[in-house]
Amino acid sequence: MAAVPLTLPVGAWAGDNQNALHPASKQEHSISVLWWVMLVGCSIGFGVIVILLFLGWVRRNRDYLPFGGRDRAGTAIVIGLGVFVPIVILSLLFVWSDLYVIKTTEAPAANSTPMSVKVIGHDWWWEIRYPGTRAVTANEIHIPVRTRVDMLGTSADVIHSFWVPALNRKADLIPGRVNRLLLDANRPGEYRGQCAEFCGQQHAHMAMYVFADPPNVFRRWLANEARPARKPATPQAREGERLFLNLPCSGCHMIRGTSADGTIGPDLTHLATRTTLAALTLPNKPPDLTHWIEDPQRYKPGSKMPGFSLTSSQRDALVAYLDGLK
Amino acid sequence: MATTVTEPGLKRVERLERIWVEPRGVLGWLTTTDHKRIGLLYFFTTLAFFGAGGIEALLIRTQLAEPNAKVLSPETYDQLMTMHGVTMIFLFVIPMSLGAFGNYLIPLMIGARDMAFPRMNALSYWLFLASGLFMYASVFLHAAPNAGWFDYVPLALKQYDPGRNIDFYALGLIFNGISSTAAAINFIVTIFKLRAPGMSMNRMPLFCFAMLAVSLSLIFALPSLTIDLVYLELQRNLGFHFFDVAHGGDPLLWQHLFWLFGHPEVYIIILPAFGIATSIIPTFSKRKMIAFPLVALAELLVAFIGFGVWAHHMFATGLPTITLVFFAAASMMVVIPSTIQVFAWTVTVALGRPEFRAPLMFIGGFIVFFVLGGLTGIMFAAIPFDQAATDTYFVVAHFHFIIFGAAVFPILGGMYYWFPKVTGRLYHEGLAKLSFWLTFVGTALTFFPMHIIGLLGMPRRVYTYPSSLGWGAYNLSETIGAFILTAGLLLIFWNLVYSRFRGAPAGPDPFFGGTLEWATTSPPPPYNFPVIPTVRSAYPNWDAEDRRADVARLERGELVLDGGHETPASTVVDAVPDEVLEMPGESPWPLAVAVCTSLLFIMLLTRHYAVAGVFAGFALLAVAAWHSKEPQET
Amino acid sequence: MSATPAAVARVERARLARPNGWWGMAIFVATEATLFGTIIGTYYYLRFNNLHWPPPGVPEPKLTLPLVLTGLLVSTSVPMQLAVNAASRGKLPRARAALLLAVVVQAGYLGMQVHLFVHDVHEFPPSGSAYSSIYFTMLGAHHLHVFLGMLLILWILLRTATGLTSYRMNGLRATAFYWHFINVLALCVVGSQLSPLA
Repeated sequence: MAAVPLTLPVGAWAGDNQNALHPASKQEHSISVLWWVMLVGCSIGFGVIVILLFLGWVRRNRDYLPFGGRDRAGTAIVIGLGVFVPIVILSLLFVWSDLYVIKTTEAPAANSTPMSVKVIGHDWWWEIRYPGTRAVTANEIHIPVRTRVDMLGTSADVIHSFWVPALNRKADLIPGRVNRLLLDANRPGEYRGQCAEFCGQQHAHMAMYVFADPPNVFRRWLANEARPARKPATPQAREGERLFLNLPCSGCHMIRGTSADGTIGPDLTHLATRTTLAALTLPNKPPDLTHWIEDPQRYKPGSKMPGFSLTSSQRDALVAYLDGLK
Repeated sequence: MATTVTEPGLKRVERLERIWVEPRGVLGWLTTTDHKRIGLLYFFTTLAFFGAGGIEALLIRTQLAEPNAKVLSPETYDQLMTMHGVTMIFLFVIPMSLGAFGNYLIPLMIGARDMAFPRMNALSYWLFLASGLFMYASVFLHAAPNAGWFDYVPLALKQYDPGRNIDFYALGLIFNGISSTAAAINFIVTIFKLRAPGMSMNRMPLFCFAMLAVSLSLIFALPSLTIDLVYLELQRNLGFHFFDVAHGGDPLLWQHLFWLFGHPEVYIIILPAFGIATSIIPTFSKRKMIAFPLVALAELLVAFIGFGVWAHHMFATGLPTITLVFFAAASMMVVIPSTIQVFAWTVTVALGRPEFRAPLMFIGGFIVFFVLGGLTGIMFAAIPFDQAATDTYFVVAHFHFIIFGAAVFPILGGMYYWFPKVTGRLYHEGLAKLSFWLTFVGTALTFFPMHIIGLLGMPRRVYTYPSSLGWGAYNLSETIGAFILTAGLLLIFWNLVYSRFRGAPAGPDPFFGGTLEWATTSPPPPYNFPVIPTVRSAYPNWDAEDRRADVARLERGELVLDGGHETPASTVVDAVPDEVLEMPGESPWPLAVAVCTSLLFIMLLTRHYAVAGVFAGFALLAVAAWHSKEPQET
Repeated sequence: MSATPAAVARVERARLARPNGWWGMAIFVATEATLFGTIIGTYYYLRFNNLHWPPPGVPEPKLTLPLVLTGLLVSTSVPMQLAVNAASRGKLPRARAALLLAVVVQAGYLGMQVHLFVHDVHEFPPSGSAYSSIYFTMLGAHHLHVFLGMLLILWILLRTATGLTSYRMNGLRATAFYWHFINVLALCVVGSQLSPLA
């Protein structure tokens, strides 16, 4: 029952995996098994009806059933195939999926996992916190591989839905509530996820990555994220920091260790450790970062970030500073 | 049957003509209370809205044809996506099946001369038209609803959506709901009380059972939507708190009330299709439906159980597991009435000597798509799979096979089937078959790949997508499918327009149908039947002896009811004739009430509450004026 | 063409099934009952979502006056039914007197309720909390229904001034049915309104 057939179209593009049938966890594996079994069952059911219809057409000049019998046999089929058979099949499916498989995908019992990660949905990005540490990041979640991680999700504004198809089912992020979900990747990798509940204009650009790292890599990453920002190393970067703190940037973004303490946009303390910008809208490379700072509305219309008219030297300084926030 | 009528019979028919004639021209249409004319008004209006919803769909599909396309801005996309859903559900499928087909056919099928409340019937139409125009006004103001047809809060609250967009949505749907409620009451009373003598409940056409089930569903489903919308408006415009956590509200309250309406709504959309299928199948299979009582029961059951499954739209919201399991069980239960009907349809075809003309082909397509959409529907009762596939294109595929493949195909087949009855002319069979294959292939190509991209991770309601995920080819094929589908639909309408003027004369009963609408001339006269038919079976038009007896009664003047604008009323279960009702004729007041109500809603939208109160008063005065003209007593 | 009360009484006696008007009202009442069921359901849904109900700073509902008023309103079901019975036996003046009595009592009820409503709005406005929002929505919806029911009675009184017809008889029967329903609703609404006291 492995997910062979649908891996064929997926194999063609490397890197981004948002395929629900290409599981990287026990949870998603159980969901995909459920799917393949249901697909086989439904195909049989579909085939029976289509064959009956087809026979009705082929034998349109005979007013008895293909296997003999008239009205009484017909009524027997309606009651047999229309009532009894579905009751049996549905009961089996119910017991298997809704009483048994559901246990694998259920939220983990409170405090039963070695670690947890807090995800807060915003219009249109993901705030990520690691309880027990000072680490705050955005849009790119790192977890240790083969470790049960409890995702605690909520929202700061409208309803979003947390969904990383290769790892588990969805969990809606609802203001005022905390919904939990188990993340337990069984192999290292980069798993793409995307907001699944319509949340406004840029619902389409609210994606994220989950990186399942080997435990030592993860620990190093987390320790770095928890530290305050690095001091700018070059004069250009120092100029960039000065600009950042004096321009409106610092009103919305936080860079721990500086006076920038905004909470409207993502925390940028370690921006340079992230691979993408604006919830996976652009890659995080200096040229893209430049474009993004100049005209965010071009890439993500409706985003809260306004464009700034800067001189090219100011722009380069700002990018140099941000690119140094490792 | 008019051939054997002699002098006294003709005199009576002439008298009926004089009594039932309505004013000519535009004035006649504005004041009409004839269920057939109101049905036609519904038909053309809903067709126009179908066109609008279709254009919206094509724009959406064009934007999604390739990754990172820039055909539509995100804001425009959201407005089109919302209006597409709202239009197809509230302004096309329901008013088309209930308003147009139901209105035109139910009185004919039960042997009545009009609906139970003819003026309220006109009011339903005018309110429907006004609510549709009200909502579409927003499109021209570029302030169309933009939070999806499900309109989840907090996104729909003033804080996140400060324009008038959502007010158009909320007020428009409350407005539309008044129309649907009035129509539903009218259908239920008509079906209960106006059936021809002898048409006891067990002899009622399955089409009428379906319409009865739909109307009952509307009666019990619409209030929760209406209340939800009232809460939304109170919160948006008067500062009430129902949905915000900070003041003790709950965003999930919206979802519960919305789906408490929304899931029965699915059955409201699909049940008329069942009704049409159970009309077309016996006619072209040339035999009665197999398991007739079971099918009637299934139609009512599906509507009933449909009220117990709403939370399966909320499996990812973090409800307690026990709640999920309960609703999953109910969702599996609701499958059974549908499987009964699917097998009843297919076995009836297999047992008959079916003639695969266009209407039956559309029903064949309907069965295929309904089974496909139904099977994926069962998958959603498997909670873990639902929680993975919900809010992806897999759901979009599922419900389009249900709402388009299963609900609209019978409507299209029904257009062909009853076209000769309405116009007196036959449609072009060859073009009709071609149009079937185009729409069938177009539908499959548009919606089937959506299953796959859903599993590949494409969420619903995104205005664009990156190229790195491999969704491009599937999306492109869907867009191509959508244009093929459009070609098929245009061919259908061309066929009907062409045949309206050039089609061969049809005669009263070109397909040898079993129900009473085929017992009268095509098109039917304003009084429907020169003599009220009497009924002894579920397929009265196949009881040739009874129909010959009608002619004899016309000669004798029995059950002709040519003393006035009259129709008989009978007892609810056994259809024993009870009294002769004097029916009201044409009236300008329904239109006046609708105009006052529209002004009321416009004032609510612009927040002139005092003026709105004045128009509410005018609407009440118009209702009073309407009721001051009483039918004459005999 | 004799639209006398006696003729109407004859029609009433000959009838096998309830008239269309009655059925129409019955189904309308069904949808209205669902509407109020939803509102009252919302009341309890919000109540179980809040620790403090009513929230701090909002006074608990008063007990005596709402109960007395509701009792008064419910008692008008008696004259409404008397009016129907009298009219269906052709006794129009007696029916009209009963209707007049009912509508006077109902007007008194509504006047007092509106007074209380306005007083409460000033004390804890609906924009204060979910509690006050649903409180005023629930009461307001019911008061509106009482008002519409009174308009129906006044309309019947006006129409029957020129005599009774079967059409008006059906209207009267439907109106009485509607009033019984409003009175049942009144009990449900006041029960929910006072539920924090229990």
